[in-house]
Amino acid sequence: MKVPQNADIIIIGGGIVGAATGYHLARAGYRVRLIEKGFLCAGSTGRCIGGIRQQFTSQGSIRLMLESVRHFSSMKEELGVDVHWHPGGYLFLAHSPEKKEAFLANIAVQQSFGLKDVRWVDAYQAGQVAPGLNIDGLLGGSYCPSDGQAYPFAVVAGYAERIRSCGGLVNTFTEVTAIMQGGGRVKGVKTAQGTEYHADIVINAAGPWAREVGQMAGIEVPVEPERHEALITEGVEYLNIPMLVDYRADGGYFQQFRHNGQFIGCYSPVPNVPGHSTDSSYEFLSEMPKRMLKLVPALGPVKVIRQWSGSYENTPDGNPILDRSPLEGFYVIAGMCGHGFMLGPAIGRQAADFIKSGAKEPPIAEFALQREFSRQEAMK
Amino acid sequence: MASNTDKIICRCEDITESQVLEAIEKGATTADEVKRLTRAGMGHCQGRTCRRLVNQLLARRLGQRPEDQKPVTQRSPLQPISLKTLADS
Repeated sequence: MKVPQNADIIIIGGGIVGAATGYHLARAGYRVRLIEKGFLCAGSTGRCIGGIRQQFTSQGSIRLMLESVRHFSSMKEELGVDVHWHPGGYLFLAHSPEKKEAFLANIAVQQSFGLKDVRWVDAYQAGQVAPGLNIDGLLGGSYCPSDGQAYPFAVVAGYAERIRSCGGLVNTFTEVTAIMQGGGRVKGVKTAQGTEYHADIVINAAGPWAREVGQMAGIEVPVEPERHEALITEGVEYLNIPMLVDYRADGGYFQQFRHNGQFIGCYSPVPNVPGHSTDSSYEFLSEMPKRMLKLVPALGPVKVIRQWSGSYENTPDGNPILDRSPLEGFYVIAGMCGHGFMLGPAIGRQAADFIKSGAKEPPIAEFALQREFSRQEAMK
Repeated sequence: MASNTDKIICRCEDITESQVLEAIEKGATTADEVKRLTRAGMGHCQGRTCRRLVNQLLARRLGQRPEDQKPVTQRSPLQPISLKTLADS
């Protein structure tokens, strides 16, 4: 196949958002060049724990996640790669009356926006859907069996392969150092290798580095990286425990991969750890097991084999950004707030349609680049 | 795909030489990429066995010296350790 030297569209960022957007654009006939400063999945996507949930509280996020789950469930056929999609469910735990009330209200909202199978389970039922769960002090939980999991590396590799097979290019280990512009519109990018790539459309899908990439174009992108740590265990027999989410101060979230039996989990650090660091701490390595065993004591003998960290890419209101920018042709798809992997397939499709249409207004008003950023996504 | 004569490269994850070579064919130029495409190095031993073999295959295919290969990130714990032991620490 003849490889195009110039692209119609340059995408900066080889994570799920860039890859999914690139896939939908390449499939629509655009010449796509995906540029990644490391290897594919080297940023946030390859460091996430692979959970996919539809239990959000805003209409935009719920509808996107309903679409994402549809994508994930057919991805094996669509991309020709086994992405290990498994609808193992998510169980959000309520240990206080306030949490229970909040979850009941959320369930009503979620059902009204089309998430039909989410439901409240009492403590006994929670123990049924999550065998081995410690239900001491548990009032119940918000359970959605159609939430699930997939394997991030396979998903991004699958998208990248399809970009290539549609005639697009994927440049790894290529760092963008400048955004070229002229006459009020974007012209292309320069890289650390000194190469200039020209295109009329450039997409900032740089995840935790979205602010820095925006600054190269003179566009303010309110995305702040925040370090989160994770660990993974050896594989054991599959125990049919859904993703457990415990929002208490000493809680966390973890799931078991269906395809290899490994438990993988993390918690949100308090106080948060701002910045691009991906160092690991002993504090996390000793604290996370305490939190896991508090919820499922029987996991005690399961061995941890690895820890790492990655970045959440937060916006002030917990919602993503999917919009054009004041620089004509320069788009921002970033700020996934720790949900990039799960939102990615639908965000990519939405972004591709938005760009193809040339529309002025973003497809999801609450994801506008220049919004108030005052409200908060409650199920963060 | 694996055949009877295929060599095992990563014993923990049961990854064969041909799977590693396929990842290199797909564009992997570092052990980090091979790891993420194949899982070689993601198992119990964190690549103690397969790391060098992957580097040799990469070097041979890319015309480099194995020692020129970028090392993969080493992560703790050094050895698998139970959740209970860590929680009690």
